Amino acid sequence: MSEPFEPKIIAFVCTYCTYAGADLAGTSRLKYAPNVRIIRLPCTGRISPMFILKALQKGADGVLISGCHPGDCHFTHGNYHARRRWMVFRALLEFIGIPPERVKYSWISAAEGVKFAEFINKVTEDIRKLGPFEQYTQLIEETEAAASL
Amino acid sequence: MSIEEQYRTRAKELLAGGAVKMVIGYGKGTTGERRRPIFITSPDEVERLVLDEACITNLSGYLVSEGLLSDEKRVAVFLRPEGVRAVNILAAESQLDSDQLVIFGFDVVGNEIKALKGIHVEEFADVIESLKESAPGVAKELLLEKIESMSPQERFSYWQGEFAKCIKCYACRQACPMCYCRRCIVDSNQPQWVNTSSHSLGNFEWNIVRAFHLSGRCVECGNCDRACPVNIPLRLINHRMAEEVLGTFDHFAGTSKTQEPVLASFKKDDSETFIL
Repeated sequence: MSEPFEPKIIAFVCTYCTYAGADLAGTSRLKYAPNVRIIRLPCTGRISPMFILKALQKGADGVLISGCHPGDCHFTHGNYHARRRWMVFRALLEFIGIPPERVKYSWISAAEGVKFAEFINKVTEDIRKLGPFEQYTQLIEETEAAASL
Repeated sequence: MSIEEQYRTRAKELLAGGAVKMVIGYGKGTTGERRRPIFITSPDEVERLVLDEACITNLSGYLVSEGLLSDEKRVAVFLRPEGVRAVNILAAESQLDSDQLVIFGFDVVGNEIKALKGIHVEEFADVIESLKESAPGVAKELLLEKIESMSPQERFSYWQGEFAKCIKCYACRQACPMCYCRRCIVDSNQPQWVNTSSHSLGNFEWNIVRAFHLSGRCVECGNCDRACPVNIPLRLINHRMAEEVLGTFDHFAGTSKTQEPVLASFKKDDSETFIL
């Protein structure tokens, strides 16, 4: 019964950098925590804050968002726009009471397979320590909508 | 002559001369202390206009009513400084042409009505600038301080309690001059981003999204707060976001009609301390 808690984490990544970075981590045979479900998007600029809410709504314990370093965006400035949006959204989540430790942002390039593996491991460890996002899962249970993760 | 009288006379002249096709102002409400928006198209009706300290609603939202400005005729409107800011934002977001407006500017200081000079949005730049100057010094609301000193868990519980009251009537959206989308995100059902039922999960999502869409755009006119039938402190969230945007990007919403929307622009050196 007392299985250790395994967090469910959703990662929204851009296809040109972080997804390629994840690929590199894979082809380099780097081991990293299997708790992360990766969702590939064209650009960080495509990551609507709704995605983050949707992930939580479906029972995620944590959300990761990652894309190209500033200046490296395939679309030249998608990540600059995303950065502003995150800053505002982060403050909003914090004010509403969703701990910022559960939503993490990073820049990982296609060459940073090691950084990707380390990032995933670190965040998984941190969220494992925090435990399940009980306050939010309670909301989900109240609605009797089964979490589909 | 009182300001009310002056503005009535001016409205009469404008309507009689055909300079404007409509005056949007305040009239008597259902009770003595209430005012309601009225839409006057004939010079004989100007006596219905009322201007006193109870005129608090921001009327700028009516300007984006479908078809109102599309005939390129002019419309006169009673606006407080927040209203002028709202018009600036609407103009910056290409929702209206501010040259079509004749502004009857006024402000309420204590119990007194003060006329603001000017008929075009540009002429109110100084008033708005002084609002910006005083914004950071605004006596921090007690409740805001209380919420900020809470732990994330306590904050979550606090908002859970508040949002539990929400009945998803969307009065906040209807009252807001900034919520002009023909199709709101909650009306979209494929994909359905926000749970439409008024259970706590759906309420959380709705209120978060609403606040996010207003970040950097809200002028804190308080229309949403007054419209809310269950008294959720909506303005507080918007106020917190306005503070954030002002502090991080030095952006004060609605300073001019050419101001770039804060979330549709960027600087290469925006701070990013939280990005790993």
